[in-house]
Amino acid sequence: MSDFSVRSDNVDVEQIMRQIRSRIREKRGVDYTEEEIRELANVKLEKFIDPKGVRSNLLEEYRRVSTPEPPAPNYAFGEDTLYETHRGAIKWIRSMLRPFLKLLFNPNPLIQALHIQSQLNQKAAERTARREQLDALHYEVIHNLVVELTRTGVEVKSLKMRLESMASRLDFDERRARALEGVVQYRPGAVPPLQVPSGQEQQRRQDNRRDQQPRRDQSPRPQNVQAGQPQPGQPQAGQEANALDNDGNERRARRRRRRGRRRGGSEDRGPRVEGRGPEGDAAVAGPEQPEDRTSDLGARSSNQTVESAPAPTESPSAASEPPSE
Amino acid sequence: MKLAVVVQRYGADINGGAELHARYIAERLARHATVEVVTTCARDYVTWKNELPAGVDQVNGVSVRRFPVSHERNTNDFGRRSHRVFEKTHSVADELDWLESEGPASPALVNYVEKIANDVDFVILFSYRYYHAWHLARRLPNKAVLVPTAERDATIGLSIFGPIFRGVRALMYNSPEERAMIQAASANDAVPGVVVGVGSDVPERTEPERFRRKFRMGRPFAIYIGRIDENKGCGELFSHFQRYASAFPRGMDLVLIGSAIMDIPKHPRIHHLGFLDDRDKFDALAASDLLIMPSYFESLSMVALEAWALGRPVLANGRCDVLKGQCIRSNAGLYYENYEEFVESLYSLESNGPLNGRLGRNGREFFKRHYAWPVIERKYLDMFEQLKRGLPAEQDLPATAGSYSEKGVASGFSRKIESLPGFFARRRRNLPPSEESVARIPSGAVVDTRKSA
Repeated sequence: MSDFSVRSDNVDVEQIMRQIRSRIREKRGVDYTEEEIRELANVKLEKFIDPKGVRSNLLEEYRRVSTPEPPAPNYAFGEDTLYETHRGAIKWIRSMLRPFLKLLFNPNPLIQALHIQSQLNQKAAERTARREQLDALHYEVIHNLVVELTRTGVEVKSLKMRLESMASRLDFDERRARALEGVVQYRPGAVPPLQVPSGQEQQRRQDNRRDQQPRRDQSPRPQNVQAGQPQPGQPQAGQEANALDNDGNERRARRRRRRGRRRGGSEDRGPRVEGRGPEGDAAVAGPEQPEDRTSDLGARSSNQTVESAPAPTESPSAASEPPSE
Repeated sequence: MKLAVVVQRYGADINGGAELHARYIAERLARHATVEVVTTCARDYVTWKNELPAGVDQVNGVSVRRFPVSHERNTNDFGRRSHRVFEKTHSVADELDWLESEGPASPALVNYVEKIANDVDFVILFSYRYYHAWHLARRLPNKAVLVPTAERDATIGLSIFGPIFRGVRALMYNSPEERAMIQAASANDAVPGVVVGVGSDVPERTEPERFRRKFRMGRPFAIYIGRIDENKGCGELFSHFQRYASAFPRGMDLVLIGSAIMDIPKHPRIHHLGFLDDRDKFDALAASDLLIMPSYFESLSMVALEAWALGRPVLANGRCDVLKGQCIRSNAGLYYENYEEFVESLYSLESNGPLNGRLGRNGREFFKRHYAWPVIERKYLDMFEQLKRGLPAEQDLPATAGSYSEKGVASGFSRKIESLPGFFARRRRNLPPSEESVARIPSGAVVDTRKSA
């Protein structure tokens, strides 16, 4: 779906329509006209997809058209076939005159040719009979293929429509979300909402707001890190943690620490709430997390108190643990 | 100043496009001049049956004089003659028979206006295609100011109307597209003309919430106002909207206002409310997200202007040159020519609030700038003044004035209409089908508005 940003008071309808048409062209892949698409669809439906296109009596029709004709009468041609007759007298006369006939012409090649032809005819008839049986089988296969192809085509079409519908819904949701985000403006000096924030978005905004305030826990932090470095066997992890902060995840790490501090303040867990160690991870991602969120308002209401309090002393082991995220 | 407004039907409850246009203009001009409306006794534009009493009446303070129609329309005969002149090679006599068959034939009306012509300054004729306009334009070319309300249909290609367009004193066009079409069809560039259109009595305040409560419309909706007719593009609208509704289950609904002369598909998101009074109509328009105009042929869409007056964008059929041109010139509406464009445009207007709002504001400004009543009235009065100043005395006419060139364009201010062919020439069937003539007329929206002012 097209998305137009109206940034100024001037909108150009022609420009918008050009964008709409280019978007449609992108969707189609080819710039077919509506008529061309309909024509293609009709051809496809008629030739392949339309189940009505496959005649239910096609098998009978095929059999009717290809009904095997009675085999052509063959003949057996032997050496005496030329002289055979059911009349004994004539047969005797012919046998008497056979030498004379052979004197006039040579009938042997004719007899051989006709004999061979007779054999060929018989073989061809057998082959034709076998082919007709195969044709019936071929037809069955083709018929089944057409039916299956039709069914598959209908399913593909249905799936395409469903996909398009889902894509449209998704697009609609995205657009609506974007529009709502555009309506709600963030103002740095605005009073925070009175209702209890429960979503992650509000949590993030609160955190961002706190990040903009001067942070008193930033100065002790390097000391903590330095305190964690000399630990034998764990300097790599500590460096990874610092590298993580330097890579732009500092905010996330701070958030964790704050969350941990809050939990630590309420539950008096001390440095464990840093979330760097396995216990800290369990505290963040474990079953206590919902409670942490629901009690977020309380934590925020005492936000100033928490942030103005002296930075908690982080244990070297906790600080040097690799991040869980 | 005295004016006569001649229109085929007239009344407070007659809401046809040209008729409503004529009523608005007559009532507005009555503030500046003495206006008498001359019309027929017909109410039904299909049969022209005499339903209203003949004689003088008052409608909203304007004097109305009605004359009976001499014969009702025979639809079979009219259909046969339309087929002849629109689709077959025909003669001038065929076209004249078609005009007589179309009606509303009222010789008494024509004779009356001709009789009072000396007492009025101008005769404003509405709708070029009807009997009264053709006969009066021929009889009173020096007084006739024609409001053609022409659409791009086969009628504009008939040869009998060319001399009318070339012979009247002035033309008051509804849109630049209409003017371009008529000029291309009749070569009447020399005739004074101005694009005026018509205003609308849009209320100062509307109550969209009242409409939503009254008709229980909780969801956002697009609206169509007008006759629900296949000829108005409603069939295509329903087809497109049903496909859109299946693709966007949570998209907007479609509300239809107007009398239906075609079947409306039963769909949970299509709501037909029937014919509503003006208050409900304007409240509905104000409550809607946009107006859809699916019509293929329009000389001016008053509903679109009303939507713009209320700050609502319009989604128009792009195959209608007038609607497309208005959308482009106003920057207040999108247009479509197929389903893909329909759904993309509709979705853009639906989901993009800033775009919708900006187009609506553009529409409001466009309406104020071009279609507010003071602007419309001023254009009419300026035209009358121009025509009065430009009319020289009969003896001062230049030598060429009064004699028409082959194209029928008068070189002076006094006009004579081109005479009809002789008895035999009139019956010679050598005119091409008017549909072919119309197909040769260039089409498209007029984007350059320098000429339209």
